Amino acid sequence: MPQLFRPYADTVARSVLVALLVLPFAGIALAYWTMRSNYITGETVTLEQPVPFSHAHHVGGLGLDCRYCHSGVETSAVAGVPPTHTCMTCHSQLYTQTAMLAPVRESLANGTPIHWNKVNRLPDYVYFDHSIHIAKGVGCSTCHGPVDRMRLMRQAAPLTMGWCLACHRDPAAHLRPPEKIFDTEWQPPADQAEQGKKLAAFYHVDNKHLTDCSVCHR
Amino acid sequence: MTPRAPSSERAHRAGAAAGDVDRRGALRLMASGVALALASCGRPPEEVVPYVDMPERLTPGVPLRFATALPLGGYARGVIVTSTEGRPIKVEGNPRHPASLGATDVFCEAAVLSLCDPDRLKVVRRGDEIATWSAFEAALLGQMEQERARHGAGLRILTNRVTSPTLLRQIDALLKALPEAKWHRYEPIDDDAPLAGAAQAFGRPLTALPRFADARVVLALDADPIGAGPGQIRFGHDLVRARQSHSAQEFLRLYAVEPAWTLTGAAADHRVALHHALVRNLALAVAHELGAPSPDTPLPPDAARFARAAAADLKARAGQGLVVAGRRQPAEVHALCHWINAQLRAPIDYIAPVDPSSMSHNDSLRALADDIASHKVQTLVIIGANPAYDAPGDLHFADALAAVPFSVRLGSHDDETATRCTWRLPQSHPLESWSDLRAHEGTASIVQPLIRPLYDSRTAHQMLALVGGAAAGASLDQVRATWTPQAGGDLGGWWRRTLQDGVVANSAGKPVTPPSAKLPQVQPAGTPNGLSLALAPDPSLWDGGEANNAWLQECPRPFEKQVWGNALHVSEIDARRLKLEDGDVVRVQANGRTIEAPVLVRAGQAADTLAATLGHGRTHAGAIGNGIGFDVYALRRSDAPSRWAVDGVTLAPAGRRQNLLLAQHHFRLDGEAEDLQPRLTLAELAQGKHAPNAPSANPPTLLPPESRDTYAWAMVIDTTACIGCNACVVACQAENNVPVVGPAEIAMGRDMHWLRVDTYEVHGRPGFSPIPCMHCEHAPCEPVCPVAASIHDSEGLNVQVYNRCVGTRFCESNCPYKVRRFNFFGYADGAEYANLGAECVRAVFNPDVTVRGRGVMEKCTYCVQRISRARRAAEKENRAIRDGEVVTACEAACPTRAISFGDRNDPKAAIQAQRAAPHAYALLGDLGTRPRTTYVARLRNPNPDLGEAQA
Repeated sequence: MPQLFRPYADTVARSVLVALLVLPFAGIALAYWTMRSNYITGETVTLEQPVPFSHAHHVGGLGLDCRYCHSGVETSAVAGVPPTHTCMTCHSQLYTQTAMLAPVRESLANGTPIHWNKVNRLPDYVYFDHSIHIAKGVGCSTCHGPVDRMRLMRQAAPLTMGWCLACHRDPAAHLRPPEKIFDTEWQPPADQAEQGKKLAAFYHVDNKHLTDCSVCHR
Repeated sequence: MTPRAPSSERAHRAGAAAGDVDRRGALRLMASGVALALASCGRPPEEVVPYVDMPERLTPGVPLRFATALPLGGYARGVIVTSTEGRPIKVEGNPRHPASLGATDVFCEAAVLSLCDPDRLKVVRRGDEIATWSAFEAALLGQMEQERARHGAGLRILTNRVTSPTLLRQIDALLKALPEAKWHRYEPIDDDAPLAGAAQAFGRPLTALPRFADARVVLALDADPIGAGPGQIRFGHDLVRARQSHSAQEFLRLYAVEPAWTLTGAAADHRVALHHALVRNLALAVAHELGAPSPDTPLPPDAARFARAAAADLKARAGQGLVVAGRRQPAEVHALCHWINAQLRAPIDYIAPVDPSSMSHNDSLRALADDIASHKVQTLVIIGANPAYDAPGDLHFADALAAVPFSVRLGSHDDETATRCTWRLPQSHPLESWSDLRAHEGTASIVQPLIRPLYDSRTAHQMLALVGGAAAGASLDQVRATWTPQAGGDLGGWWRRTLQDGVVANSAGKPVTPPSAKLPQVQPAGTPNGLSLALAPDPSLWDGGEANNAWLQECPRPFEKQVWGNALHVSEIDARRLKLEDGDVVRVQANGRTIEAPVLVRAGQAADTLAATLGHGRTHAGAIGNGIGFDVYALRRSDAPSRWAVDGVTLAPAGRRQNLLLAQHHFRLDGEAEDLQPRLTLAELAQGKHAPNAPSANPPTLLPPESRDTYAWAMVIDTTACIGCNACVVACQAENNVPVVGPAEIAMGRDMHWLRVDTYEVHGRPGFSPIPCMHCEHAPCEPVCPVAASIHDSEGLNVQVYNRCVGTRFCESNCPYKVRRFNFFGYADGAEYANLGAECVRAVFNPDVTVRGRGVMEKCTYCVQRISRARRAAEKENRAIRDGEVVTACEAACPTRAISFGDRNDPKAAIQAQRAAPHAYALLGDLGTRPRTTYVARLRNPNPDLGEAQA
């Protein structure tokens, strides 16, 4: 009588058993790894913009301060993106005919705003306030990366909750003196731990309650 | 014979024919599913859209606040409106305005929603067809040329009450230019009787403004000063301020006699339910005690005893006692009250009426109806008013309108009146108009817009300009023209200061010394026979103009907490006699008209008295207000002695029942009313009686004590101060994006209000307890959440993290206070009630507060967004949050300052004294929840002569 099961049936059965044990864990691991990957968090992804604005040229090259355009950053939760008029303060006189800047000129002429694609996106259930971070010694480049070297804007940090919590649990490692907040070149010095403790005292940063859920989620 | 295909293949082909997928298709679908899933896991694309030219002073993310005024019945309440990115989202009181003193009422709070009402009239209509303003102006031009030829003989202007100096100036100018034209003004919530009474007593109409803050004994004769109305905020504030003392001599003693329950009756130390016609007898009895001759005045014995005690009390406190009469009482009773007050040297200010029109509202409308009937009216311009709905039934105004050849209606909706007019014109909402208004005590304010008109609407000022033959112009110019003389040459500085303050300095009505009051001849009433219907404005809908406002429709009326409709309140005595129960529908017949109404049985209502509120039963209010409740305006008669009482009413069962939506039954706390809302008399308090469950008396616990290294937010609610006005309920709804669920969901008990005002009755006395989240230190809702969405933060708040919530609802069932609300459907997010999902309605959302989706639990958060904002502001300035810097929405709205919020760890905080008071208590404190929200027991100051037997 012919065999019901071919010789490889054993192998199949054993593989299935092993897979039943291994695959769920592997699947979950894959899911976790995927969720932390740049694909999901958006880190290092450069988004298309209606105008290819170069921070490298304007900040790195020309030396514009962050606040020239992102004017709300010290007073508001929202740093803001500059109105067309801010672009036109220079570009009404410089590069007035370049095709690259045509959308800006059209925006001014028609009174229609420019629709930028937001790069540093947070979910709607996260209430982030820029002004308090600036007031407490967190510099722009700490979260937004080396903007002065970005030819096109990209997200420089994962902006996941875990990443935010890493600083909220130990802000001292990331604080900088007030005059360096808008310095895009600043790196934490070798003695950041000690400096950070002093700065935390200076800024009255009390990290005992910074990880309360209601600080960011309401 | 063809070989049959194998059965499997046949099945396969049959399946394929039916739309099944084969193996390849299935694999393709799976792959695309995975790809889609992965793609949707990332952050959704978002746009950032800046301005082209950002306005100065506007920082995105930082709200701006502007002072303006909102009208109720034509009178202003000063408000400060918060505007984010150019959209008004929250109305709060203006501390500088005498009619607001920093607080609001339900109508102010709901104004932002009616601004964004999708049912607003958006375009000019000629009949049913859409037209344009130029078409209207051309038609008006022709019509007005004819009118000018006859000096305006066929022109009539109908408005509601007008207190706007600019509009009055324009109407004056128009009537001077067209001397034969007439201006009629009709306000369904009229004050004809009080003004006529003052005219009887003093020879000219005067408005009496009681100074409750200076009074110690008040007798309310069918009056409701702290009930809904333009004076509610100020009178409520003053009355409760006078009831803060713990000394029986200083605590204002309030006596109320009324046919049906009002907020004043609920607050009263002594109340007697009396038929409205017999109130005059009680007034006569009181007057007799003060020296007036008195004929035989039949009164029930308890009312007679009440009258004697009240009169004795008033006499004993000369200079500090006053009597107020309500709009239902006829003019002679008001005149009698003026006489009584004169004898008492009562603390009352008399001012010239803010409404300069001298004709009674009723007579004014009757005159117009007569003119229309005799075809004298060729051109009728209606501004704002809705007489087709709210005119007394005997005038048949809706039908009369058809007889007018050229009728124009400037209004907010395509309502009952507009649909019967030739031209329907959209009117700008007060939040988008330049105008001015006066409060009930005379203070003028400039009304400034918070947003450009959303639609192609015009203001009343522009309308009057058109009627006068000029271009519509800008209301701003018209208002500035009115106030230029006042500014005395410094219009720029004066204008900016006045707009900033929200009040025109020194514009309050100047008190006049009235001539000595004449004692009127008041015939005592015989025992009334037959049923009479007492009418009142609706506490949430006022006169029906706001019937399309969903927040107001769903705002539970005081006492029975009815929503989405009104009911015929039948006294318990009559209900037993007529064998009526809650929900029975009866046919109410009076004056030849019949309406059908569901019955609601009320204890404490006078015998032979029915009660109903106006403002319901609309047919053209919009998607929200149509068909809600029954219309009582039909039973009013313009030739009856009063618009507020309908006599000779008969009831007959209609043979069906109707479900009444009463929110009172939705959230039941476990316990007796005496324990849930303790009551104390001042005498008991003086003897050292405490309320049960003092806030500090907690059962022992094994849990570690609360940390004291940061703020510890707590709230104290004074139940003596709460008058039940519901301003806090709607304020919370506006601030926190609380959705409206509609009548069907309410019927299932799914009320979403975060803050509710519970009514408890102890010995027939009602009392109001606002119940927000208790933010228990040992919260029962926290340990039961499987996903840690309900957690405690270090400042003592019980935080609900919406993005973690999976909708187990264990927390809701474990909460003993029943303060948690579950989004069974996407009430705010996808499955909105009626047309509340429209794009314009989303403009009302507060961007600082999450809009909750389906399946998420929500509850009061102590306005965590306000706490967060204050904390961030304080941190930026390197200081602690000051006491009083965080004001929750409910605390800000409350006219009587019943709600206080502060830091329990701050020894100097204002709430410390209230928490430590002997009559402070924690609701259900014996459960060991240690609530941060504590209460102060309801105090009363009963007259020892009346004893406890007297209600």
